[in-house]
Amino acid sequence: MSASDTAQAKGVGGAPLGLYVHVPFCASTCDFCAFYQTQPTAETVLGFLDGVKAEATLVDWPRPITTIFWGGGTPGLLAPRQIEVLGATLRERFLGEPQEWSVELAPASVTVERLAAFKAIGVTRISLGVQSFSPALLEGLGRQHTKEQIYRAHERIRAAGFRSVNLDLMFALPGQDEASWMADIDAAVALAPDHLSTYCLTFEEDTALWVKLSQGKVKLDIEREARLYEETWARLAQLGYEQYEVSNFARPGHACLHNLNTWGMHEWIGLGPSAASQHAGWRGANIADLALWRERVARGERLTEDRVALTPALLAEDALVFGLRRNAGVDLAPWRARCPEAPWPVVEVLADRLVAEGLAERAGSRLWLTNRGRLLADTVGAEIMAAFEIESEQISL
Amino acid sequence: MPEPMSAKNTRNFCIIAHVDHGKTTLSDRLLEHTNTVSQRVLTAQHLDSMDLEKERGITIKSHPVTMTYRAKDGQDYKLNLMDTPGHVDFSYEVSRSLAACEGAVLLIDAAQGVEAQTVANAQLAFGQNLKIIPVINKIDLPSANLELCTRQLEDILTIPAEEAILASGKSGIGIVDILEAVVARVPSPRWSDYPQARILVFDSLYDAYRGCIAYVRVFSGSIKAHDMMMLMSTGQKAEVKEVGIFTPKMEKCTVLNAGDVGYIVSSIKTPSEVKTGDTITIAARPATEMLPGYKEVRPMVFCGLYPLESDDYEKLKAGLGRLQLNDAAFVYSSESSLALGFGFRCGFLGLLHMEIIQERVRREHDVEIISTYPSVIYHIVKQGGEEIDVDNPVNMPDPGTILEIREPTIRASIIIPNSSMGDMLSIIMEKRGVCEHTDTLDMNRVMLRCVLPLNEILVDFNDRLKSVTHGYGSMDYELGDYMASDLVKMDIMINGDPVDAFACIVHRDKAESKGRQLCEKLAEIIPPQMFKVAIQAAIGGKIIARDNVKEMRKDVTAKCYGGDISRKRKLLDKQKEGKKKMKQIGKVSIPPDAFIKVLQNN
Repeated sequence: MSASDTAQAKGVGGAPLGLYVHVPFCASTCDFCAFYQTQPTAETVLGFLDGVKAEATLVDWPRPITTIFWGGGTPGLLAPRQIEVLGATLRERFLGEPQEWSVELAPASVTVERLAAFKAIGVTRISLGVQSFSPALLEGLGRQHTKEQIYRAHERIRAAGFRSVNLDLMFALPGQDEASWMADIDAAVALAPDHLSTYCLTFEEDTALWVKLSQGKVKLDIEREARLYEETWARLAQLGYEQYEVSNFARPGHACLHNLNTWGMHEWIGLGPSAASQHAGWRGANIADLALWRERVARGERLTEDRVALTPALLAEDALVFGLRRNAGVDLAPWRARCPEAPWPVVEVLADRLVAEGLAERAGSRLWLTNRGRLLADTVGAEIMAAFEIESEQISL
Repeated sequence: MPEPMSAKNTRNFCIIAHVDHGKTTLSDRLLEHTNTVSQRVLTAQHLDSMDLEKERGITIKSHPVTMTYRAKDGQDYKLNLMDTPGHVDFSYEVSRSLAACEGAVLLIDAAQGVEAQTVANAQLAFGQNLKIIPVINKIDLPSANLELCTRQLEDILTIPAEEAILASGKSGIGIVDILEAVVARVPSPRWSDYPQARILVFDSLYDAYRGCIAYVRVFSGSIKAHDMMMLMSTGQKAEVKEVGIFTPKMEKCTVLNAGDVGYIVSSIKTPSEVKTGDTITIAARPATEMLPGYKEVRPMVFCGLYPLESDDYEKLKAGLGRLQLNDAAFVYSSESSLALGFGFRCGFLGLLHMEIIQERVRREHDVEIISTYPSVIYHIVKQGGEEIDVDNPVNMPDPGTILEIREPTIRASIIIPNSSMGDMLSIIMEKRGVCEHTDTLDMNRVMLRCVLPLNEILVDFNDRLKSVTHGYGSMDYELGDYMASDLVKMDIMINGDPVDAFACIVHRDKAESKGRQLCEKLAEIIPPQMFKVAIQAAIGGKIIARDNVKEMRKDVTAKCYGGDISRKRKLLDKQKEGKKKMKQIGKVSIPPDAFIKVLQNN
């Protein structure tokens, strides 16, 4: 990873370039999900495909794409023919062959025909949204698949022969005890996936779950969440999965390159409504409205929100904030070289303190969080942001 | 206006009572009966004009009023009623209002009997040589116990029971009897034959347009517009702009004569220059002796007041300034605290006064404030004999240089039901008090006379008194002597840094338990921290109690991918902004409301 850190810190051509496509269709809305999605109809899907085609012509493609990620929504809701159209649309624009091409799929929509279409356009990695193997918990999440569908989908994916398969799991669900979570891990590992993502249930605003939380129907239990995190990390290490980020584990050689690219503050191009981009000197997200996005791209405009300029200081700050979520942590030296004006002395004081309190470790210029520290990555992140912005106040106190 | 009446037909009197014994309602009846205020205009509790006064049923400012009454003897009398502050905090103000009278109507609630404040106020009135007219009020209540009240009058207050008038302010019973008693029993104005003008200032009011308005009682001589007056305590001279009487609203008149109660507007703008208790005389022919009883009022209780939002500092400053205009007894000066930022050290006459000022700042000036622990003035004798006063624990000199610390005490009269005796005595003991006398009031109640350190009654004494007596207990106090005591300054430290807002002066024997209690409270209230945070209580560098803030366990977002980065940054930004608002104690960020919670809880 340090070679990639260095490449990014230099900000030169030849660095990784990601491509994210947001497929905004879902058959129904999950209680926990805050991503932009809408009901698919023949018309909206065609509109989406045309929109991506139009948007792709508006983007400056500076160098070959290294990784692709199709997320959503449920890209698996596209018909095989539509998958091929979308794949062809993209291939017309990007050069060369990506190292990794991931697609997120929901178990209920995995068909042999769709998998064949994915395979045909060059997809290398499937991420399957299992969430849980427990029928009761699946029900509680408002999920639209059964345990049997999970197994059938997995069999088909393996049969189609993708290079990497990931399973998404969720924990700290209402009604889930430690034993049932360990059983979910074991059931997932029994399928021998190349990669596992384990997500602690998050209460996001604008979700049904958030409403339940504010109504007191479900309760937050931080201590329980912390315990489940620790048990998950320990258990998966035992089972031969190396943790490389807060929620991500892989067998050697199967870490998700696209996400590593993101956390390393490299560049990526986002297409589709609500898709985020970080390239050509700015970061931002497309408008989260299919019709509006479509209308604008048809007129030759990309309507973006939360647009910020990518300065060396912002990238250095984010490389620290997001890099420290990774087990490998972050190499400070290249960022120091790229952005010497950043408040490194303050960062060093913070780093020393993290190390002194057993929340981080350090070897040379590389700093990483211990398990205890990684559980506090948001607080650490806020401290880093405070260090970058309120340096003078810090010193005066 | 009726024909001017001679001083012979003037009666100056006040009504004194325990809280809620019906003083204001009775005053309203008197105004109504004498047609001073028509029934239509008379809103309930006419004299208590401040919202806070109405709400709490207490009188803070004086509300004098002049009534005209045709007595049964066929003559017209000018009756000046002084509505006086009813609380011990304002006992000096009460004593000045009483000094402006020759008589006092002493109200006793027929159902409640004599209370601690009744005794205290009656004693103040005796001290001013006032003729006391006992009135047993609320006699139409089903629970009225006249026999008990009359016996208490004789036993506790040594007032002959046959002098008592039975009344009900609510139903209008006994109103004429009271007015007749005022005419017949209260002497006509005293000291009117003094050769020069002597005019007592018993209160003052600040008016944005007219400056300071002095409330006065003329004892001898007279005063009118364009006179050159002189304040005898300072020798300051000023031109009289206007004189008038209270009807109860201010009404201009040509002259105030001996025996009159009214107001004076002069060229003095600053209210603090016109002190309650001062004597005004005519500069051209000044009196040689002041009226008796003047003293400088000194605040007894102190605390820091800080704006909750530091942006409100100027607003708070302006608010305190305006409050001080009407309340010379309230003092403040700026101070700053590491924990709370910029604020003010404020001095008050007592606890109620403190509460009232805080409440008025919040309500009338719309500033949210936080207050530190109340403190008193300690006399500190240093090695070598130097004596200093300390009203803020932060200013306590190094313990090695201190020979002796003396603290103020109070002499309290506490009336409680017999059944609460044991509980009350143990509270008094816990508060380092000594009970000197126990008097049986009646079958059910006793009166304890105790000496207590003032600092011990500052916080929860009254609440606990009410609690162990199920609301039936009452207390009144006057300031006593300073006494030497084994006091120490206790610091509270967060990760080794002292938090000035929590420094306090405590008795050595209580330091450890108070220290432990504070540490626990802080450990509980400060939200979990990423880094280890120790909270310690220390006396002169020696740790006497400690606790740890809970360690933060988990604060991490599960998903953080490309699209999440902007959202995540916003979230962390919020967290960072939150941190900026926190108070930095050394390396520890503490939400400001943590301090407030600790201060509020104690």
